Amino acid sequence: MSEMDTRPDEGTLLDVRNLKTHFATARGVVRAVDGVSFTLERGAALGIVGESGSGKTVLARSIMGLLPPRGVHREGEVFFAGTDLRRLDAKQMRRYWGKQMSMIFQDPMTSLNPLMTIGNQIAEPLRVHLGSDKAEARAVALRLLTDVGIPEPEKRLDQYPHELSGGMRQRAMIAIALACGPTLLFADEPTTALDVTVQAQILELIATQRRDRNMSVILVTHDLGVVAGHTDSIIVMYAGQIVESAPTRSLFRSMRHPYTEALMRSIPQLDQPSHTRLLAIGGRPPDLINPPEGCRFAPRCPYAEERCLQEAPTHQSDTPGHSFACWNPVGSPTWAARQHSTTGSAAT
Amino acid sequence: MLAVVWLGGLTFLAIFANWLPFVRRYNEFPKGPGARKLVAYRGKPSSDYWFGTDKLGRDTFARCIYAAQKTLVIGAASIVAALVIGGLLGMLAGYFRGWYDRVLTVMFDVLLAFPAIVLALIVVGRFFASGDLNLGLFTMEKRFFGVILVLTVLSIAPLARIVRAQTMSLAQREYVLAARGLGAGNLRVLVREILPNLLPAMFSVAFTGLAVLLVAEGGLAFLGFSVQLPFPTWGFMINEARPDIVKGGGWAVFFPCTMLFLTVLSFNVLGDRVARRFDIREATL
Repeated sequence: MSEMDTRPDEGTLLDVRNLKTHFATARGVVRAVDGVSFTLERGAALGIVGESGSGKTVLARSIMGLLPPRGVHREGEVFFAGTDLRRLDAKQMRRYWGKQMSMIFQDPMTSLNPLMTIGNQIAEPLRVHLGSDKAEARAVALRLLTDVGIPEPEKRLDQYPHELSGGMRQRAMIAIALACGPTLLFADEPTTALDVTVQAQILELIATQRRDRNMSVILVTHDLGVVAGHTDSIIVMYAGQIVESAPTRSLFRSMRHPYTEALMRSIPQLDQPSHTRLLAIGGRPPDLINPPEGCRFAPRCPYAEERCLQEAPTHQSDTPGHSFACWNPVGSPTWAARQHSTTGSAAT
Repeated sequence: MLAVVWLGGLTFLAIFANWLPFVRRYNEFPKGPGARKLVAYRGKPSSDYWFGTDKLGRDTFARCIYAAQKTLVIGAASIVAALVIGGLLGMLAGYFRGWYDRVLTVMFDVLLAFPAIVLALIVVGRFFASGDLNLGLFTMEKRFFGVILVLTVLSIAPLARIVRAQTMSLAQREYVLAARGLGAGNLRVLVREILPNLLPAMFSVAFTGLAVLLVAEGGLAFLGFSVQLPFPTWGFMINEARPDIVKGGGWAVFFPCTMLFLTVLSFNVLGDRVARRFDIREATL
């Protein structure tokens, strides 16, 4: 246990190398995550962005090891504080779950046990991991509820999830996830089920807790706006692979992958005149059982050429820390030439 | 509401049957000289004998209440035993899946396919035909135990299948995943997360199942394979008084039939209500 308790404040916390997660289904093997590598520093916040079905949730759960027991093929390496999590069995993983790494789920309506009081649900992980007694766990639960900004925390301890509003439930979820002081917090679309005003509060709460606890955060979302203000770096995923990864500033200053550009363009901009048509990305995400040859985004890419359809692009980099997998990245001569020929047709 | 009142009253009477003076005469025959004139055999309901008398001149009302005790104890004991065993097996099968699930499912299918009457005849008729069973702490009439055993075995499979299906759906819930992600082991997940959410469904099934069991016991008794004299159950009373219908004294059949009917109906209504309550709560969450 002692090696886990020593917590240097800096250095690499998570090192994922060529992680693959495949599901066996009746139709064939679904390559939900197909060779993902990245690293995460202690105390840093990473955003994983992509549309539905791009494999971001599976990636998060795969790192954590929270996958169905059967029909899953996982390969690659996941180093957490130097330990390869893939080599641990379920029993050993349980010592990490909740204590070292924990997860906030998308829908606070369904991820709380409807028949257990909020107080008891916060107390659960405390009693599992720290062996706290009832009174002790209750005191900690009360402090946590206060920390996450729930009004009248004393009263909430004995309430059931249905007595709380959506935002309060998500706060309670965060309190549960924080209970044992994890080093790494996964937030899987933590704000998708919430109102916009509440969204901002929840994101701010996660950011505050991250700073206070020197905790690393992985924020999974389909909303570039959500990650923009709350992450240090961003990974853009498409069809189970990373298409672009960069420090947040660098990404928003100069995005290189056409998919990232397309995601950005599909967000309403305040400086656009009203009634400007949003540019949706045409087509659908590819079938992950038979992904397209070559670049997986090519069939939907406005700049795609012959080569993109045949040869998968490798990751390249021109500024440190900023890498992308594209033959004709945004800003390249081919891209510029193509842009004139495509924007005309895309606008109609 | 009526169902609850009926069941409540019946349970009350059943619990205190042994101490209630008017019930205690369930096995009293008219005795002494002139008795034959005082008490009518196969008598109509009267102020003395509310439900009439049977062919031996015994008080049908007293017997009905006393039978309620026996019938309810048999039904409740069987359903509780079946819930514990079937619930446990169903939960394990639905949660762990795999070969474990396959073996248990086949077992349930075999149990379901087994002819119920034959099982009853073998168990009660062959192994628990007569005598007392010494269970250490207390002795019980062998037949009584045999009937409970048969009914339990017969109810395990349907209950286990329902619990298994429910468990499978509950195991997919986000909060179960969340609990696992917080480091809860299988046992903790089963006991703290799944079992409480399973209970409403189990109660609903238990009430409906109890109704079925009461009828099944009646069937067994009718065939002469349930509890024996001097303990009456409703099925036993119906069987005993069956010839009376032809001989013009149907009261002794009518009343136990009515009691059985109302009780079964009440349990069904109660079961449905629990199920509806359960659904509504699910929907509002």
